[in-house]
Amino acid sequence: MEALNGWWDDFFWGSVVVADVFVVSLILTVLFGLTGAAAKLSKNRVAQSIANGYTIIFRGTPEILVLLLFYFGSAIALTAIAQISNPEIKYVDIPPFWAGSIAIALIVGSYATETFRGAFLGVEPGQIEAARALGLSNFKTFIYVRIPAMWRLALPPFGNHMLSLIKDTALISIIGLEETLFVAEQAIATTGKPFTMFIVVGAIYLGFSTIITLSVVVLEKYANQHLKIAR
Amino acid sequence: MIFDFALIVDSIPKMLAGFWMTFELWFLSAVLGMALAIILLLMRISGRWYLYAPAMAYIYIFRGTPILVQIFIIYHGFPQLEFIRESIFWPILREPFGCAILALTLNTGAYVSEILRGGVLGVDRGLKEAGAALGLSSTHRFIYITSPIAIRLALPAYSNDIISLMKSTALASTITLLDMMGIARTIVAETYAPYEIFLSLTVIYLILTWIIQKSIGLIEKRMSRHVRSEA
Amino acid sequence: MKMIKKCLVSLSFIAAVLAVVVVGTASAEKLRVGMECTYAPFNFKNANGELMGYDVDVAKGVAGLIGADMEFVCQKWDGMIPALLANKFDLVIASMSITEKRLKKMDFSDTYRISVGRLVGKKNAGWKLFDGTGRPIVANFAGLKVGLERATTYSDWFENELPGATVVLYDSNEALYLDLVNGRTDMIMTNPMKAHLRFLSKEDGAGFEFVSPQIDEKKYFGIGVGIGLRKGNDELKGRLNAAVETLTLMGWLEKYALQYFPFAIH
Repeated sequence: MEALNGWWDDFFWGSVVVADVFVVSLILTVLFGLTGAAAKLSKNRVAQSIANGYTIIFRGTPEILVLLLFYFGSAIALTAIAQISNPEIKYVDIPPFWAGSIAIALIVGSYATETFRGAFLGVEPGQIEAARALGLSNFKTFIYVRIPAMWRLALPPFGNHMLSLIKDTALISIIGLEETLFVAEQAIATTGKPFTMFIVVGAIYLGFSTIITLSVVVLEKYANQHLKIAR
Repeated sequence: MIFDFALIVDSIPKMLAGFWMTFELWFLSAVLGMALAIILLLMRISGRWYLYAPAMAYIYIFRGTPILVQIFIIYHGFPQLEFIRESIFWPILREPFGCAILALTLNTGAYVSEILRGGVLGVDRGLKEAGAALGLSSTHRFIYITSPIAIRLALPAYSNDIISLMKSTALASTITLLDMMGIARTIVAETYAPYEIFLSLTVIYLILTWIIQKSIGLIEKRMSRHVRSEA
Repeated sequence: MKMIKKCLVSLSFIAAVLAVVVVGTASAEKLRVGMECTYAPFNFKNANGELMGYDVDVAKGVAGLIGADMEFVCQKWDGMIPALLANKFDLVIASMSITEKRLKKMDFSDTYRISVGRLVGKKNAGWKLFDGTGRPIVANFAGLKVGLERATTYSDWFENELPGATVVLYDSNEALYLDLVNGRTDMIMTNPMKAHLRFLSKEDGAGFEFVSPQIDEKKYFGIGVGIGLRKGNDELKGRLNAAVETLTLMGWLEKYALQYFPFAIH
């Protein structure tokens, strides 16, 4: 255990990075998921095909492969795009934090697309008709009627998506993000104690998963409170 | 950005040489994982605290930590412990293949047991009551009534998990195994051409996951032919 | 002749320093430097999270001389060159050997360290792997597992010289030593200086020793270790070369080396 001396603060900062990545990719995941679901449910053929392609590609490719592709591809692609507008630019690059967050958000977002799509289909048609009768526009219906109703149905599977997000963060260490697994590898390089260090990483992630699972339980209670039977 | 097609044509056979390793990792873990999942399921629904508490703890730990960390603990971490090196399991744990199978099995076993449990919970209570009324013992009820229906209900979620398992086999490349991902990384390291190699590997994985998905879809269609409406 | 030689040497020395200083103070540019960060004692992080090592000292020395700010980026070894080519960083100061194969895709500065390879294995294993002239005896490698890091000059040498050997490829340097100790491989090939410092002189390396002579084939290991950069940056390369020359002549390279090794390594 003394091997850990001096490394506790590094693990702490690594955990902060994990939390940061989680928040950023969570927001992006919801964004990608809602957009994808809306596209799949729309009448627009092009949007449907793009959304279908998106889910097929990102659900069928190993996460580590997506990360590596993003890491190497981002600089070249972005630089090429940036150079169209301003040829002076020598390079545009995304640091591993953003490359990784966007990559895992795209991956989990493809699963979230399916979850949200199913949940949207579960919204009672009666509520939509009522919104129409009240004169709400398509957009207002979406925001004020569909999303709140859908959210309750989507919450349990979405909780699983959140767990996937936090665990995929460990993979971003492969492209250089200095989170807990990365810290562990450096600690092993100087202390030579792999079991100790990896168990610490496992415990940290287990802690995060527990927090997320408990939060989902609380959120579910909140989302379902209007359905509680009055005694 | 010019694509080196000659390189792609040259590399695809090399990567496909790793297909057997990928398949073995996937198939063995799926089979062993299913066996483990059934054991865990029976423990979980047994109603006896000394059985379901350990099962729940196991599932909690293995679903709450990243699979990469689990792989590293088993491959890099276990040898640090004296008693592992001296146990009878050492010949298995010494080989990276054994470690990968162990990690993948333990991980997928936890997930599949929850999926099976979801299927079991979805069986209509009336059917079980009918079985009891007919005098079937609880074991018989479980084998002949609950299981077939539970399997059918669990198939969609199971197909997702088994595709996830296929994607997770790519992580075996991090512990020196030369599956398709491992060979791809070696080729990239020698030719410095990440895009061509990784993009073609993506296509290979997409084809594989598509095959798995279609196959399970066919099984599902066959199993539910008695419930699908004629419309 | 001796006087002229002396004059020439000191003149070129002064010119090098001047070139570096004059060009260097022109602008404080930012350069990103890629290194493995887990390759003690050349580039690694200590418990306080500080990046240390011979390569790090060389990088800082060069930065000071050419007037640039260096930002260090940690990168796994097998992705080092693709990352450089993909513009993830501008320089590679990671104990990367200058080889013909690499020169096809990238440029290097002059060398700042020699590079050789050596095999490490169990003590008294009784293998006869090399003949009297230092050439490997191919047949005696049969059935032995060798651990190598992916994309290194060592894996190149093995692939070409000993194609029949059973090679196990690793993502990182640390894993090489870990697996040698717990018996997953019979021997590894790596940098002898690092092997000595990090492994053989410590307790986990107690049962191991060098099982080969120092292997120095220029074709695979190159002429030494240099600073890597993308092609087409000749101006930067010139400044780097001047800086390396200064560090060599002023004895700073030796000073850096002596912090970690009992001998100079350039």
